[in-house]
Order: sequence, then C-alpha cells, then structure tokens
Amino acid sequence: MKEERVKLRIYGMTCDDCVNTVSHGLKKQDGVLDVKISLKDGSGEIEIDSDKIEPEKLLKNEVFEKPSHYRATLMDQ
Amino acid sequence: MNSEVQKFDLVILGRGAAAFSAAIKASELSNGEMTIAMIGVGPLGGTCVNFGCVPSKYLLEASHSVFRPEHPRMAGIHTTMVKYEFSEVMEGLRSYVGHARDTKYAKVIENYSNVSLFTGLGKFVDKKTVVVSDSNGKDVAVVSGSNMLIATGSHPTVPNIEGLKETGFLTSDTIWGINDLPESVAIIGGGAIGLELGQALLHFGSKVTVIEALDSLLPQTEPEIGSALKMYLEEEGMKFYMRARVSKINKNGGMKSVEFITHKGNEKIDVQEIIIATGRQPNTEYLDLKTAGVDTDPRGLIITSRTMKTSASGIYAAGDCVSKKMFLETLAAREGVTAVSNMFGEDMKIDYESATWAVFTNPQVAGVGMTENEFSRKNGSCSCRIFSLENLTKASITGETEGIIKITVDPKDNTVVGMQILAPNATDIITEGAYAVGKGYKIDDIIATSHIFPSISEGVKLAAQSFIRDLSKMACCVE
Repeated sequence: MKEERVKLRIYGMTCDDCVNTVSHGLKKQDGVLDVKISLKDGSGEIEIDSDKIEPEKLLKNEVFEKPSHYRATLMDQ
Repeated sequence: MNSEVQKFDLVILGRGAAAFSAAIKASELSNGEMTIAMIGVGPLGGTCVNFGCVPSKYLLEASHSVFRPEHPRMAGIHTTMVKYEFSEVMEGLRSYVGHARDTKYAKVIENYSNVSLFTGLGKFVDKKTVVVSDSNGKDVAVVSGSNMLIATGSHPTVPNIEGLKETGFLTSDTIWGINDLPESVAIIGGGAIGLELGQALLHFGSKVTVIEALDSLLPQTEPEIGSALKMYLEEEGMKFYMRARVSKINKNGGMKSVEFITHKGNEKIDVQEIIIATGRQPNTEYLDLKTAGVDTDPRGLIITSRTMKTSASGIYAAGDCVSKKMFLETLAAREGVTAVSNMFGEDMKIDYESATWAVFTNPQVAGVGMTENEFSRKNGSCSCRIFSLENLTKASITGETEGIIKITVDPKDNTVVGMQILAPNATDIITEGAYAVGKGYKIDDIIATSHIFPSISEGVKLAAQSFIRDLSKMACCVE
C-alpha cells in the first residue's frame, strides 16, 4: 500500500449535511483511506492508497457527478 | 507591488475567446464558487472581437455594399455607383467593435464576481505561481492557482525583410486604425487574412496586389477551390504574384516599393500601402514556460493532448497559443471549455476533425473534415464529387454561379469524411457538413434530408446526389 494525501477543492457545500454527503461518498470509493472535509474552506484532505486509485479518479466519485450539484478540482498537482 | 501571493482556484493567462469561455464554464460548473484570476494585456475579448473576425467581417460586408450595386448581375438592373465615405465606414467599424467588446465581453465578465481581472503580462515563477507586470515592466501582483490555463493567443508574424520596418506597414492588428483608403496596396501573404483584407479594399476601390510564396492560395483547401477563388478574384481585378519571395522594401517618394523574386526574375511594384499577412505566432515568449515545465513545438506553440493538458500537471492550454492545424475563435472557445471540464474530472476531448473553418471572401470558402488528398493518403483510396454552382437554380437566378461544392466520402460505405464549399453563404451551409462529418452521416442521409428549393444549400444535396446519378439527366427536385 502506498499512502498519499490529496487535497480537493470542493464546490457546492453549504451546510454540515453537505459535508456528510460528500464525506460519505468519498469514503465509499475503493482506495480511499480517510476523508477530512472543511466546510469553511470548501476543501477536503483525502488519504488514498495510490496503488489502488489515482487522485484524478476522486473527481469522478459519484458524489461529484450529475445530478449531484457538488463538484471538485485537484488543489495540489 | 503587493508582494503577497493572491491565491485562486484557477489562474487564466489571457483574456480572449478561450479565456472567457473557460472562465464562464468554470463558473457554471462551480456555481460561481471557483475563484478565477484572468491576466492579460490589450482590449478584453482578444483577437477575434478586436482585430480579427469581427472587424474584418464588418469591413467585408461594408465593401460588398459598395461593390455589388456597381456590378449588378441580373437583367435590367443597372450599374449604380455607391457614394461612401471611407473614414466614416472605419469610424462605424471601430464603434461596432467597441460595442461588441462591451456587450460580449466587458459587461459579461462584470456578472461574474468570482473573476478578478489583472492587467499585465504574466510570467511563471513556478508551476503554480505567476508574476504580473505592467507595460513598464514593473511587477504589480503575484498570483497562484490550483489549476492554470494558458490562453495567451497570438500576434501577426512580421517577416524579416530588408527595409520593411523602416518603410512601415500594416497588419491585421493595425489596419483598423486607418481612415483613408489606400489607393494601392501590396498584400504579402495569400492566406485567409490576406485575401479577406484584399477583397475588402478592392471592393472599396483600392488596387490590390497579393504576393504569395506558395504556388496556390489557401493550401488547406481542395486545389479546385483555391484555383477557382483565385480566378474569381482576378476577374474582380486583384493581381497575384505566386511563388514570389519579397526581397526588399523601401520608400520611393510618397510610395512604397516592394521588390520580389518570381520565376521571371526580379520584379518590383510601387504601392501606397503594404499589408503583412504572413501568419501569426503565439504569445508564449514572455511566459517562461520552461520554468513551468510546459513543452512547446519549434514555433513556440504549446503542445497539448486532446484534453488540452500540457506536459506540466495542472497546467492546461487553449486557443491560438496551442500547437495544432487550425487557429479559429470557435476552436479556441471549445478548447477553453474542454480544459476546464477536464479540471473537474470529465473526460472531454477536443474534436478537431469535425471543426469547420471559413474564409469570408465573396464567394465564401468553408470546409470541414478531410480533403480528397488527405483521406486518400491515409486510407489508400477515396471517392469524391465536385458540384458546380452553374447547375444550381438559386445561383443561376442571382447570377452567382462562381463556386463549387466538393464532398469526399469513404468508398467502403459512403460515409462523408470531408466537405468544402466555395459559394455565397458557404459559411452558413457548411454546418450541414459539420453534422455529416461529426456524426458519420452517409451520402444517403444527405439525399434523404429535405433541402429548400431554390437555395444555395440545395447544392449540398445535389453534390450528394452526384454520387449516385448523372445530374445532367436529372429533372428539378428529383429525390
């Protein structure tokens, strides 16, 4: 296992429920080890196993796909 | 300078069509949350609205309004000389450009509170940070972004010709400031820009000479179209020197002398004005792309994948600064959208194959897809037909029969792979070709589609029908 920390800019979060929804969605993704979301900054720090998942794949998480209104971009590349 | 780094989600270098489409798409995708820095110099909107498509089409349309009444084509319509004041035409042009820039760019971007405009040139100091400097070279801001988009556009190339700079010249960027119609003009370069400007000035009454290094006009077109357009422009009075290389330019009293070499040897013409139309080069020199790790081709154009990603992760490029075959405002805008969509994790790829291009002379030239030669070289064989507007009822009625429609298909299954049109309104009609090439339509799909009779667009259907029957044995409107 190769651990990597990925920082996401997350758009569309307005409340704690949003944080829970995004957090829950990311945690379900294979290769995601830990998720910390900041509502204030609109960002998230995601621990991943980079042997299992590439950082860009996080952007394709179901929680960032239509009809969801949440969107994300990579912050550190 | 405020040395504090201002952080943004997206930094866009440039403020033309690619930059605007990217900023707007990013704002839409993030519901206005993405913070965007847009950095650039020159008027908002970039080349297209300020120096390219918009003013050149204005000038062409104005010139046709003068030329057409003086050259009627229908029985009983007498020649009418049109009174015009060239300086007022140019004033109207500049006023319209200002209006288009305000309504389509300046006022639009005011609606996006998430976009901050920086006036100045941006230079990379690392992959995520650029320093912005003003026209005096003074650093005015430092901005960083999680994602970067380079969309700095291009500027006219000025060839290294002895005496050119000392003698003075116009380019497609500077011609819009003139108020007096030059009595005679030498246009160096017979590409789209040179021919459009040349015909506009010719229609107003200038004597126009085009000096072209190649042996044909518009090398991206089918040879039949390039030669037909040349013949038509010659009939209007435009003079051409092909395979000619300009060797020297100098002032000769109130005139400008252009010396050039052709197969006949040394030749020389004296003109009142010179227009340089030898192409454009990317605005990438100042960016320090090496520091950012962004690769360029030998011409300085930025190399990208079809996703608009550059060689540096997190840095995208779009528009006329990108290495590709066609440099169009419409493509620039699409590339901007593609880049931003991919920043959000989509898998969007730019489709160059079904991108339409045009030359707005009269008749107009427009095309999409591959030429006969391109398809044959790639696949070993092809099938194509050329339909002359002489056989088109609408063109016969108006007397505008100078033109052809050429369709190229894959002989295996008659799928349309290319279409080029030389005709009035070719720029409107080519959209049918874009659908056909983009969606993989076959000749039968075009034939089975209703086309208005009589219209120029009917020519596309007749060109398609010419694959399956002899048109000379066909009555009007046979399906």
